[in-house]
Amino acid sequence: MNGSNIKAVIDTNIIFMALYNEESKAGRIIKLARKNKLKLFSADNIKEEIKRVPKREYGYTDEEIFRLINELPIEWVKKENYIPVLDKTKVKHKADKPLEALSLVLGCEILSAGAHFKDRIDINKFLEIIEKSP
Amino acid sequence: MKTIAIPERVHEKLIYLKLEKKKKNIAEIIDRLIEEHKENVFRQECELFRKRLAKKGDTLFDLLKKSRKIREEIANEWF
Repeated sequence: MNGSNIKAVIDTNIIFMALYNEESKAGRIIKLARKNKLKLFSADNIKEEIKRVPKREYGYTDEEIFRLINELPIEWVKKENYIPVLDKTKVKHKADKPLEALSLVLGCEILSAGAHFKDRIDINKFLEIIEKSP
Repeated sequence: MKTIAIPERVHEKLIYLKLEKKKKNIAEIIDRLIEEHKENVFRQECELFRKRLAKKGDTLFDLLKKSRKIREEIANEWF
């Protein structure tokens, strides 16, 4: 399996965990994506969350938000692309449906620390596979 | 393949780096430099992020809780 062919949908909590500690497992995920060993996607509602939290809670300026988003090796997917499959999602919680819908559209796993998703994938194994790939 | 023009002194430095890092070609050196630059910028973003959290006296857990609440808010607005 070639690392650059591996894709995943990433949740806000993993992004914030990576920013909090770049040496953490979450930080390693971002690093691998930066090295093109992994292709990360996320939904536009997640992008909005990444914008609102630092701005409202931690006084980030618009410029700082722009820079932060720009530095994340993530491809943001607009809601028009995943809304058609929202009703096919299994997760009960409305706010988590876009992430699952996007993972259905892309046919890949969700990287999340959230209670609804965290048991779906073994992060250690996932990291091991990608880090060992050429 | 594309060609870029660079001053001779920069060319010399790149050749020196290529030999020092035992890379096959200059493209590999430039790739590595870009990667290092991106890593540095991301590290700066991480430092800023930790500083802002500390300034507010928030832990990662506090942040994730607030983030969860904002997610609900966005879901109610968007979906």
